[in-house]
Amino acid sequence: MVNLYFEPFIIPFCIGVVFLFSVMWTKFISWISALPKSDRRMIRRNIFSSATLMALWEAFRECLLHLRIMRVNGRLWYMHTSLAFGWFLLIVFGKVEAILYLKSPVVPIYVDVFFRKYFPFAHIGWLGVVMDALLLFVLSGLTAAIIKRFRPSVYGMKRTTTHTLGDKLALSTLWFIFPLRLLAESFNSAIYDSGSFLTGSLGVVLAAIFPSKALPYINETMWWCYSIALGLFFVSVPVSRYLHIFAEIPLVFLRSFKVRTSVRATTFTKLQLAACSRCGICIDPCQLAANEISCDTQSVYLLRDEREGGASLAKADSCLLCGRCERMCPVGIKLDTIRTSVRHNRRKDTSTFDYGYIASADVTLPSAKTGFFSGCMGRLTPSVQASMKKIADKSGIAIWFIDQEEGICCGRPQRMAGNIDAADSMRERIEEMVVESGITTLVTSCPICLRTFTEDYNLGDIRIIHHSQFIAELMEQGLLDVEHTEAGFAYHDPCELGRGLKIYDQPRQVIARLGQLHEPAHHRDNALCCGGSLAHMGLELDKRVMIASSVSRELEQTGADCIVTSCPLCKKMLAKSSNLRVADIAEAVSEHI
Amino acid sequence: MAAKRVIVIGGGVAGMQAAITLKNNGISPMLIERDITLGGKLTRWDRLFPCGTPASEVIGKQIESLSELGIRTVLCGEVSEITPGDGHVEVALTDGSSYEAEAVIITTGFDLFNATVKEEYGYKIYPNVITSADLEDMFKEGEVRCADGSAPRSVAILHCVGSRDSQIGHGHCSRVCCITGVKQAIELKQAYPDCEVYNFYMDMRMFGSGYEELYKEAQQKYRINFVRGRISECSGTLDSRVRIKAEDTLAGRPLKMTVDMLVLMIGKQAPATNAKFASELGIRLSEDGFLKGVDSFDGATVTSRKGIFVAGTATGPKNIGESMAEAVTAAMKAVEYVNSLS
Repeated sequence: MVNLYFEPFIIPFCIGVVFLFSVMWTKFISWISALPKSDRRMIRRNIFSSATLMALWEAFRECLLHLRIMRVNGRLWYMHTSLAFGWFLLIVFGKVEAILYLKSPVVPIYVDVFFRKYFPFAHIGWLGVVMDALLLFVLSGLTAAIIKRFRPSVYGMKRTTTHTLGDKLALSTLWFIFPLRLLAESFNSAIYDSGSFLTGSLGVVLAAIFPSKALPYINETMWWCYSIALGLFFVSVPVSRYLHIFAEIPLVFLRSFKVRTSVRATTFTKLQLAACSRCGICIDPCQLAANEISCDTQSVYLLRDEREGGASLAKADSCLLCGRCERMCPVGIKLDTIRTSVRHNRRKDTSTFDYGYIASADVTLPSAKTGFFSGCMGRLTPSVQASMKKIADKSGIAIWFIDQEEGICCGRPQRMAGNIDAADSMRERIEEMVVESGITTLVTSCPICLRTFTEDYNLGDIRIIHHSQFIAELMEQGLLDVEHTEAGFAYHDPCELGRGLKIYDQPRQVIARLGQLHEPAHHRDNALCCGGSLAHMGLELDKRVMIASSVSRELEQTGADCIVTSCPLCKKMLAKSSNLRVADIAEAVSEHI
Repeated sequence: MAAKRVIVIGGGVAGMQAAITLKNNGISPMLIERDITLGGKLTRWDRLFPCGTPASEVIGKQIESLSELGIRTVLCGEVSEITPGDGHVEVALTDGSSYEAEAVIITTGFDLFNATVKEEYGYKIYPNVITSADLEDMFKEGEVRCADGSAPRSVAILHCVGSRDSQIGHGHCSRVCCITGVKQAIELKQAYPDCEVYNFYMDMRMFGSGYEELYKEAQQKYRINFVRGRISECSGTLDSRVRIKAEDTLAGRPLKMTVDMLVLMIGKQAPATNAKFASELGIRLSEDGFLKGVDSFDGATVTSRKGIFVAGTATGPKNIGESMAEAVTAAMKAVEYVNSLS
């Protein structure tokens, strides 16, 4: 006969555990089995490879130790880690304690959770100290969490997330769990004198306060309360943000198996929604929040609404897609792609424009091997193209100016709006035109075009580069000589070029050849968005200028004589708000020839 | 008892008119002009709409009156600070001098929109893209020439550059560019009868007396083409002509053409000094940065700061007649005010 160790007070806990694990597993298994064929193939291909070990290591680092948060915010890291890792260790050492004491490898889970209640006289000295230390560790994290809720500024956070009903239920029960455990174990200790430095000492105090006759009743009640708190928390996990504790684990593995996030949402998107811990780290980097333009449309809220039945198109549209929050997300969720997929879903590709013109756009085939694509924004900033002509002439390179006569949009604005079909029709036309032309290098001055050429296009062997890279190469090869002057240039990293394509160095190399390079406070992957983003067409000009002004002030504070950027949209936007001259990198170079 | 003093800042048509009116009403005015000559923006004009009156004639008459009346005028005087006190105002200039009076009338006019801001039109990038002010300079010099020295055979005139454009944050209508476009188109036709002239417009706002008639004449007598639609972008051709892309919104079709010259009808914008005056004096600005009176009616020239009056295009785009009329109103309000002081 197997000893089940049944006691009535474990019922709430057991119901919670059974509920949690059945709901969770149903969800995870149904999501993984509903992944597209290509993704499932990737899982099969990578599951028996080093990818699994890498994922295991990452899961340990991120799901338990939260190292990414540590790099962002030390205090926040302590809160997350003391709760997550502390609780994890409590479970592990609880199990060890039960196994060692009962000398049996198979012990029901509730026995080790409620071990002190079952075996008040069990004394494994060093384990008792460890368990009390761990409980103290978790309680310190809990205190930190309570402070964070009421005073986010202690953590250097301007704003913290607002919660749903499920979140509030889970949060309140979570706050009760560990104080109740402390009380339950201490009352136990008051009766049986069994605790270590924390529960034992508190037990002595409690024994002195309460009459000894009442102690067993209070003790019993405390264990019931502890079990109920655990049960309630487990029941509320699937409907709250705490699902992230478990969802992050399969996410880490699937990502390691190279399952991709698509703008046409799959169940991998659902898993990512569930993996969002709503920590709120994405709120403060958002310039729409910083400038108080909109404070309820940040990624955390979009993901929350999407998980709770569907975010509104207005919320999905209210974002610059600058990538600043995605860079900070400790869970590594593909926030920009998910937002685009929500736009795509809600918009149903109901683009009202007639793109008939692209079929008639006709170009004469070139003899040059290098093609230059201005793009729509480039066509609105003709001095950039004029500068590129001067640079090409000076370097003796023949360039075919692809869209000089007729322009076709690269499709990225439509893609960002979620009009994927419209974007694809443009992509197909440009792919055909560029591949037919026989060029070997495609240069563009527009990071928006460059990003979609790189990420979404299939241009065969054609090399796709930004004009800042092109100019840097001409300089390196000795084809382009420029005059070095005393002038100071403050460089603004465009979002699509920097965070989007990780092109940071070449523009700086080019500027260093012209004069003194100045860096604003936010630069490289932490650079600010100019506010001109085509991803948020509903944003009014005055608000865009508000964002641009804050960026311009930072650039002006460097003491530079001129602001240089390498995106026609950033150039136009910063020019609207800066007292300094704003030039494209090509213009700056052509003036130094 | 000495005559009450009023300082007029800005020696354009409005400022000169205000000074003359003050003097004729027993006040001792003083006119401060930043430039080396009087006349303001009008000095750059050749002939005026709607009757072709030479601009020099209008300014000439006013300057003559100023000297006949012996009005004290300070040229090259840049105001650094206006300090209102109790019943008097002190105006300090950047050269260190300062003047005191019982009241001040601000008639500092407007700034021309900087066409390079609308880079897509290629001003200062393509040699044959010019502004309406540049064209007026050419009329003054007596001939209109392309960059290569030839007479233009086709000219496109684009209205509303820097006006009614939310992209650059200028919501206001500059009011006089429509009629200027008509006037300059006719003058081009008069000088070069074979030249094709196209006006690209959003609306034709022919509000003034004689404007509508001139617009009709432009179409019927001079056969000038009016196309409702904006030019979306420009590019230069190898022979330095200007290729434009536009949409004819009446016919509902896109159009492309190549012209010898593109003229941008640049609008009026509030001068930078408006914001400075407004913050120093605590008077209000309109959304587009023009100075605002206490209301849009009887108090249009009276500001919330006692002793400070405003007139002319500093309060918003106007034609010359309107500027002068407002200057007279402001002057009379100032007369009433200074006479009420004990």
